[in-house]
Amino acid sequence: MSRRGNQSRHMISVDLTSMIDVVFQLIIFFMFTSQFGELRRTEIDLPHQPGDETKVRREPAMIIDLTNDGTYLVESAQASLIEIERLVRAGVLGQDASDPFDVLIRPDRHASAVYLDRLLLRLSNTGVQRWKLATVNPRGGS
Amino acid sequence: MTRARVLKSRHRSARLGALPLTSMIDVVFLLLIFFLVTANFAQDERKLPATLQTEGGGVRSSDLQPQIVYIRVQDEGAVFVIGDVVVSDARSLEALLMNLPKEPGVAIKSDPDVPISAIAAALQAARNAGFVKRSYVPSDGT
Repeated sequence: MSRRGNQSRHMISVDLTSMIDVVFQLIIFFMFTSQFGELRRTEIDLPHQPGDETKVRREPAMIIDLTNDGTYLVESAQASLIEIERLVRAGVLGQDASDPFDVLIRPDRHASAVYLDRLLLRLSNTGVQRWKLATVNPRGGS
Repeated sequence: MTRARVLKSRHRSARLGALPLTSMIDVVFLLLIFFLVTANFAQDERKLPATLQTEGGGVRSSDLQPQIVYIRVQDEGAVFVIGDVVVSDARSLEALLMNLPKEPGVAIKSDPDVPISAIAAALQAARNAGFVKRSYVPSDGT
């Protein structure tokens, strides 16, 4: 009995306050720095350009990734040009006239223009008039 | 320190120690591991907006013909051609575009084997030169 009493007193003496403080600081840091929206995006070596610095709140209706070997990915899943055209056509039909269908293309910077051209020709067939090219800021700032 | 104060302090620390912190620390560590695993330290992505124009039509905002920047591969590097002027880097292209009238806009065309980074560089140069109307004309490979 007296042994158990000694043990519990020994447990009580461990000061966890500073450790919990550090752990919470780390949690807050990761909560602020993590980007959950990026999880579904494929890792692609985007062109190094500062881009348009105007902040646009509206997210693109569709994001198409284009790899170095000319593979098209929608939501990280491989898609053919026919499938992309079908998806975009459905999206364009469901969109408001005041709210044009917005496509973001995330290409590998080393990929040939021919793959981009094939994709854009398909998009133009569906009535898409505006598109955006994703880039990455070479200076790394936000 | 008086005896009464020491006793009070011991009593308080014993009370605090009685808090069951184990489960909270478990949860905190689980959260920490989750954020460590899901955190994405990818660079900030930017966007370069452009309109889509096809050889046979597409977006036309005025009757004025846009100035055409043609990108082709020369000596294993991309060069930008406007009329008879050929420049090999984006900075020179930007300087060239600055001297052109902005109202008609600029259209960018490229050879199929040009890397997409060169298209991004041309779109960026047009944007930096003050062109609001920027379009890309995909080649149909004919």
